[in-house]
Amino acid sequence: MRMRKARALPRAKVVPEAPPVWRPAVGPDLVPALLVFAATGLLVVGMMLASPSFGSFDQLTAILVTAIFLVVASFGQGLVILLGGIDLSLGVVIGIGGMMVAGLTRGSNDALMSAIPLTLLSCAGIGLINGIGVGLAKLPPFITTLSSGITFFGVALGITAGSSQQPVAPALQTFMNSGWLGLPYPILFTVAFVAAAWLFQNRSAEGRKLYAIGSSPGAARVLGLPVAALTIAAYAISGLCAGLTGILLAGYAASATLDMGSALLMPSIAAVVIGGARVTGGSGPYLGTFAGALFLSTLSTVITALSFSQGLRDIVQGGIILIALLLQSGRLNLRHHRWRWAHHQQGGGLT
Amino acid sequence: MDVAAPPLLAFRSVCKRYGATTALDDVSFELQPAKVCGLLGENGAGKSTLVKVLSGVVAPDTGTIRIDGKPFLPRVIADARARRVSTAFQELSLVPALSVAVNLFLPRPAINRFGLVSTRRIEADAEQVLQQHGVTDISPSALVGDLPLGMRQKVEIVRAFSHRPAVLLLDEPTAALSDRQWLFSLIARALRDRTSILYISHKLDEIRALCSRCVILRNGRKVLDSEVAALSDDAIFSSMAGRSVGEVFVRASTEIRRGAKPVLEVTHLKGSGIDDIGFSVAPGEIVGVAGLEGQGQSRLFKALVGLSPLQTGAIAIEGVTVAIRSPRAARRLGVILVPEERKSEGLFTGLTTMANISLPVINQASRLHLVNQASERRLVETVTPAVKLPERYLRLSISALSGGNQQKAILARALLAGAKCLLLFDPTRGVDVGAKQHIYAMMRGFVRGGGAILFYSTELDELVGLCDRCLVLYRGAIAGELARVELSQDVILALASGHSGGRTRRANPQAHA
Amino acid sequence: MTAASQLAQVRSVAAGGSAAAFVLLCIMTGIYAVHEPSALSAFGISNLLNNTVVLALAASGLTLVVLCGELDLSGPGVMAIGNVVVATTSTGSLGATGNLAAVLAIGAAVGGLNGFLVAYLGLQSLAVSLGSLIVCQGVALLILPAPGGEVTDTIVQAVSGDIRAIPAPALIMAVTAGLWLLLKHSRLGVALYAVGADEPSARLSGLNTRTTKLSAFVMSGIVYAIAGFVLSAEIGSGDPRVSDSFLLFMYAAVAIGGTSLGGGRGGVLGTLVGACILSVLQKMLFALGVADFYTNIFNGVIMILAIFFGQLSAWLARARHRGQG
Repeated sequence: MRMRKARALPRAKVVPEAPPVWRPAVGPDLVPALLVFAATGLLVVGMMLASPSFGSFDQLTAILVTAIFLVVASFGQGLVILLGGIDLSLGVVIGIGGMMVAGLTRGSNDALMSAIPLTLLSCAGIGLINGIGVGLAKLPPFITTLSSGITFFGVALGITAGSSQQPVAPALQTFMNSGWLGLPYPILFTVAFVAAAWLFQNRSAEGRKLYAIGSSPGAARVLGLPVAALTIAAYAISGLCAGLTGILLAGYAASATLDMGSALLMPSIAAVVIGGARVTGGSGPYLGTFAGALFLSTLSTVITALSFSQGLRDIVQGGIILIALLLQSGRLNLRHHRWRWAHHQQGGGLT
Repeated sequence: MDVAAPPLLAFRSVCKRYGATTALDDVSFELQPAKVCGLLGENGAGKSTLVKVLSGVVAPDTGTIRIDGKPFLPRVIADARARRVSTAFQELSLVPALSVAVNLFLPRPAINRFGLVSTRRIEADAEQVLQQHGVTDISPSALVGDLPLGMRQKVEIVRAFSHRPAVLLLDEPTAALSDRQWLFSLIARALRDRTSILYISHKLDEIRALCSRCVILRNGRKVLDSEVAALSDDAIFSSMAGRSVGEVFVRASTEIRRGAKPVLEVTHLKGSGIDDIGFSVAPGEIVGVAGLEGQGQSRLFKALVGLSPLQTGAIAIEGVTVAIRSPRAARRLGVILVPEERKSEGLFTGLTTMANISLPVINQASRLHLVNQASERRLVETVTPAVKLPERYLRLSISALSGGNQQKAILARALLAGAKCLLLFDPTRGVDVGAKQHIYAMMRGFVRGGGAILFYSTELDELVGLCDRCLVLYRGAIAGELARVELSQDVILALASGHSGGRTRRANPQAHA
Repeated sequence: MTAASQLAQVRSVAAGGSAAAFVLLCIMTGIYAVHEPSALSAFGISNLLNNTVVLALAASGLTLVVLCGELDLSGPGVMAIGNVVVATTSTGSLGATGNLAAVLAIGAAVGGLNGFLVAYLGLQSLAVSLGSLIVCQGVALLILPAPGGEVTDTIVQAVSGDIRAIPAPALIMAVTAGLWLLLKHSRLGVALYAVGADEPSARLSGLNTRTTKLSAFVMSGIVYAIAGFVLSAEIGSGDPRVSDSFLLFMYAAVAIGGTSLGGGRGGVLGTLVGACILSVLQKMLFALGVADFYTNIFNGVIMILAIFFGQLSAWLARARHRGQG
């Protein structure tokens, strides 16, 4: 063992940093989203090969049209999950939105101009209450939103006195069933919505803060970020999106029932998860949520075309979620390993 | 040194990589029984990885480890314990929600004949273990989470010693201890039992007092391995950092602006953990805060930004009395806290470095609420030179940076947010020597520009080297206030331990720790 | 501080959450009894227990997973499979014990799958259990697409009748409580709390966090299966969707009972009290004459208040104990 004299040592260079374990706004985070888009494409192509009657332009546009509901619903859910929460009242609020717009317009166009804003405001109001419970009273989101869902279901049940079907304003139905320049209005709407959603979640200052709060609530507190306000806003937006979904659903189906949204609740969560977001919050670009929503809608259409029984449908959907998680687990394990190890380092870097 | 005796532990050519980074690069050394070997190095050098490899937390990529000549390849902690390797971790490995007794005997607390863990019995056993190791002030039934950090460290250390290991790893064991002699006597006893100890510390006086040999790591490589007595402080320091000791603390002339209103003035503050504290910080002044664990410093700093409740007292910023109810309000007034727990309270792990720095002022870089990346970069680059944070780190995720660079990013953020008064809580903890220099330079630059700093540190030489004045806390009150000329490590230690001298204020006997 | 006083403080902290729940239970039972005189009769209590036992079991299973820091949505799915399996095969050749064994095996298998994915592959438990919930619901629908089937009298009697004058549900809950106490003081129990409270430290202390979590999921799967079995006995037939509404009440029972949804704090005893509170709530509302469709609203609101109350009291107990620091 040689002992080195101090003089002989070269001047120490700055410790070279690790070539990136980087998670910038674009890049490796988008991989799950791209994979899911690819999976959607594969699904469609597969169906077209398997069944020649599948795959006409009309059918494909029909898929895109029906995707709108999940796309809108999963954006709000995605914002809430981004904060590390969850919105289990989504299904109920969708139903309430649909029933409300139907009940206020009652089959004619007269009140439509005021019915839509009123419905949206009310649904956002339910979200606001959720947000206050989670953000101010610090209740667990799981139970809060589940309970409020049940509560408002009860309220709505009481108000509508149990009557289940309502006719919807014709203008709304026309919107959902016709188009402009060959493209159905819903698809144009979806494009505009996705653009706005992406801008908000991944390009706005508020979106940035949501990511910050979701990934490090302690640091958000110490820095003085408006955690409560943003939490309330996220839940309110989720309610708003749910209401919007209800309105769109009501127009598409030409009628509304109170539980028409319950089938969208689990898929809205699944879409976010499949797209690469962590349920614990703080990660996952909007594109992933959109990819997940698109995939699940397509899957649903395919399953219907294949005439699966309800039981098989459930198994396939549940299985897809598990498979998506497993596929992500390769990357997840890597991150998990680094995180777990990094947890022990004061420096947080690689020692 | 007995060259002929076979080593107890032989660590040969061990490599460990994490992705593209090499944490350990062909490291080899040996441990002899009944001897203490020091392990030194800045953060980023590989010390903690080495400890993890030996403890079974991570597996090395290549290399061999042998104990008593037989291969040693732990995959989990239990494997290491089975071969009588025991570790006291720097980031304590105790479960806060469980009692001291349960923690001492994890993972296999004693069971009675029904197969159930008997609380009474393990508490009695724990009492014995604690006493055997010279600890009389910790109750076995206390929840670890309720103990102050110093006591928790004691429990961690006692647990490691209680396994009567053949190889004992002590990672920064005195970081929070107020009584080092206790540890040293335990070490002496273990040596008599022929235990081999690997002692990781950055405190040279401890290394000199305890270790016969020392190993120095830098950038994952072993750069020095020799008898401690043969090395000068400068040689050790240079091996670690490539800089000499003299460069560390250059006493600058004072920057205090005379006659100006104090940036921060605090009178008769009382709250949980704080008992009648009053002081002021003038523009251009660096005021240090010293104190042993749990003497109220954490509460004080948190209270100054509204994170900890205050019962009475007044806070004045630039002469104007204000009520600071939240960190947001504090930030608007220019008072910004750089917190103790960087990972959980300082960093936004999901964001890039640039996003971390720009967060408080992100709205300024946004038009119609949409972030303009170019403006953001421009904003951030106004402060990164002050902390010497290289540009290329800005687009990386902040979790990829070393502790030192992360701390620089947090400081840059505080500067960008318009800090007038910086509250720094142990800012150089877990920061490598190079980054420390940059942080000191940043602090001096900040006060030169008229800012004020209140700065708590556990490293006495930092306090002595940087502060214009130093407040010493004891039991939630100010035990003494030392001017620059009176500052010395011994005086600070004496006051911090409750020995009051001539003109210091007596700690209020009614105050609770 | 003396050891004895420390111990007392520790106990008070632990009891903080569930003690508050117990008080609430007594108050509500009182209100119920005032309005419904037969409430405290043997029949009344037996009836109450019958209504509670399924929820109590399901929520207890959930408690085990929540204690070690994870979430589990798959309970209702396992219950559904258990229910339809019993309904379709109980009149067959397996016999009552055979049925029970089959159902337990299914529960253990689902729990094992969940546990493996979460503990060994590191997947998020909420997402995994969501997936397995949906799969289980699908499997239940495949086995029995519409309500039907039949549960033999043997099973029905065994589970909802009396065993030597003690109502079987009461015995079941007592056994659950007893088994829990054994678990709590075993090494596995200590490990559950440790892993839930601080997983990295638990690992560094030498605990095998993976087997601990796997055990928790498997145990909960078995308990869900038992809940499904008892459910079959209660309703006497099979219905693949009957368990759908349990999810909220399971979580409510757990949270009301003082168990922290983040792990490391609470226990099955509190959950049992929580389940009783929810049953008494239904009875109380009915006895007070609350109209049917208002029950939903009351359920939701009172649940939130009770949870708030439970979390608050646990927080207060901790703050009192901690003092200054």
